[in-house]
Amino acid sequence: MKIGILSKRKTMMTGKLKDCLENKGYTVSIYTLENLIINETLLNNDFCILKSKSLFFLYAGFFLEANSIPVIPNPQISFLQKNRIQSHFLMKRIGLLAPDIYLGTTDTFKNQLDLKDFPFILKPIMGSGSKGVRIIRSKEDLKSENNTILYLERYIKGIHYNVYFIDNEICSLIKPPLSDEHVDMKKIETPDDIRDVIKKWKDYFKGDLLFGHLDIVREEASNNLYVVDPGSFPEFTNWKCKISPVESICNLIINKYEKLQKNHNKN
Amino acid sequence: MKKIGIIIDNYHLKYKVADFLEYLKTKAEIKIYVEESFLLNSENLNFDEDLFFTKAKGDLVLTFIKLLEEQTSIPVINSYKGTWLAINRFLNSVYLKKEGIPIPDFSLNPKGIIPPFRDYIIKNIIDQKNYKFKPVVHKKNGQLRVADERALNEVDTIDPKYNYLYYQNFIKSKWEYKVYLIDDEIFFFKQLPILVNPNKMESRTKIPEESELREMAFKAAEAIDLKICSLDFLKSKEQFFLTDINCTPNFNYIKDGHKIVADFLLKKAKK
Repeated sequence: MKIGILSKRKTMMTGKLKDCLENKGYTVSIYTLENLIINETLLNNDFCILKSKSLFFLYAGFFLEANSIPVIPNPQISFLQKNRIQSHFLMKRIGLLAPDIYLGTTDTFKNQLDLKDFPFILKPIMGSGSKGVRIIRSKEDLKSENNTILYLERYIKGIHYNVYFIDNEICSLIKPPLSDEHVDMKKIETPDDIRDVIKKWKDYFKGDLLFGHLDIVREEASNNLYVVDPGSFPEFTNWKCKISPVESICNLIINKYEKLQKNHNKN
Repeated sequence: MKKIGIIIDNYHLKYKVADFLEYLKTKAEIKIYVEESFLLNSENLNFDEDLFFTKAKGDLVLTFIKLLEEQTSIPVINSYKGTWLAINRFLNSVYLKKEGIPIPDFSLNPKGIIPPFRDYIIKNIIDQKNYKFKPVVHKKNGQLRVADERALNEVDTIDPKYNYLYYQNFIKSKWEYKVYLIDDEIFFFKQLPILVNPNKMESRTKIPEESELREMAFKAAEAIDLKICSLDFLKSKEQFFLTDINCTPNFNYIKDGHKIVADFLLKKAKK
C-alpha cells in the first residue's frame, strides 16, 4: 500500500510516522512544499496523511478527496481548525466558549476602540500555533499598511493550558501564555471541566477526530474555560502521558483507513 | 419598508453601485457597511436588516457574512460558501470539476516546476482584491505562456504570500463568453479575448441564449452556491470551458442590471 504524507518537514513527527508505517510494510512518500505538485500525479497513493494544515497542504487534501483518495485527518475538519473565523464560529456552534473577535483596519480600531477595551491578541486569520501572534496593549501597538484587515481576539487573563488528546487519552499541561507547543510545560491531572471540553469537541466530529489538541485558557475572573486555538495534528512534543504518541497515531490512522475502505466497499 | 444592509468596500462604493443605490433607496431603507471603516465585533448582533447584500470579498466581509449566517436568521446574498469558493480559484476548480463542469486542466506547482501543459496561463490563486487582469505574454518555439501580473507579484515579492503558481491549460478560443446570473435570470454576451483586444467592452455584444452555456452556468452557480455572479467561458472544438467565476459582478453591464439586482434582493428579503 502506498501512503503519502503532506507535511512541511520530513523530520520530527512526520519522520517518525514514516518509520512506523514503513516498519509495517507500507511504502511512504513525504510531500513538502518543495516537491508537492497538486495535479493528477498526486493520485498514485492509496491514501494520504494531512500532517500540515498550511494552505497548500489543505488544497492538496481537498484535491485528493475530490478524486476519491482518502485523506486523514479529514481536510475539511483541518481547515475548520486552521481558519480562525471558521474555528471561532465552530466553537460557538458546539457550545464552547471562544474569545470575542474583532476585525477592522488599523484606523478603524484606533477610531472606534476605547483604552479600556485593551489588551487584545493579534492573530493571522489563517494560522495556527504562535506564529504571527502578538499582544496588543494599546493603540500604538496597532500597525498595518494599505488598509489591511486585522484580526484581534479579546485577551483572556488566566491559566493557559495545552491539552492533547489521542483517541481516549488526554494529556493536560500548563503553558506560558502565547507560547508554542514546544516550550517546556508542566503536566497536570486533567480537571473534569477540561475533560468535558475535549469530549464536546471530539463528539462534534463523530469519530473523525482521532487526535489533536486544544489551547484553553481558564479565565481568572470567571473560572470559565475559553478555547483559544485548536490544532488538528500537533507534534506532541510535550506529551508526558502513558502511551506512545507516534505508535498510537500510526495505528489510529491505519485503522481509520481500513474502516473507510470497509464502508467504501459496502457502498 | 424593507431594510437592506449593503456590505461593500470603498472601491465598489465609489465606482460600481451609484445607480443601484439610487434605485434601491426608493424601495427600501438602506444601511451601508464599508469594509475599510466598519468595526466587526463578534458580540454585536444588533442588526435589524431583512437582508444583506455583499459587494466585496475581503476578509472582514467574509467574516461578516459568516457572523450573520451563524448568529442571525437574516439572509445574505451571496453566501459565505459562495464567496469563499469564488475567491479561491484552486478550490472552485476542484469543486467544479467534481461536479462534472468542463474546466481547463489545472495544476498547482511550486515556483520553478513547470506544469504538464504545452500552452498555459498562470492565474492568481486567491482573487480577493479589486484589480484588473494584466497579462504578461511569452511566445517561444510555438509555445504560449501567459501570466497574470498579479499572480507573479504574489510570489515575486520579498515577503511572498506563497510560492505556488496556479497553471491553467490555455484554451484557444475565438470569443470569450460572459454569462451573468441574477438568481434565475441569465444574460449572455461575447467579446474578443483580452489577449486579442485588451478593451473588452469594445467588442462585447449581447448574444442569444446558448442552452449549453445556460446549463453549465446554473450548474456551476449551484455547486458554488452563488445567487449573483458572472462566469467566463472559452470555446474550443465545440466544447465550452468555464475559466473564471466572479461573486461581485459588475451588473451595470446588463441593461437595467441595477434594477434587476435590487428587485431580486427585495423579493428575497425576510418581511
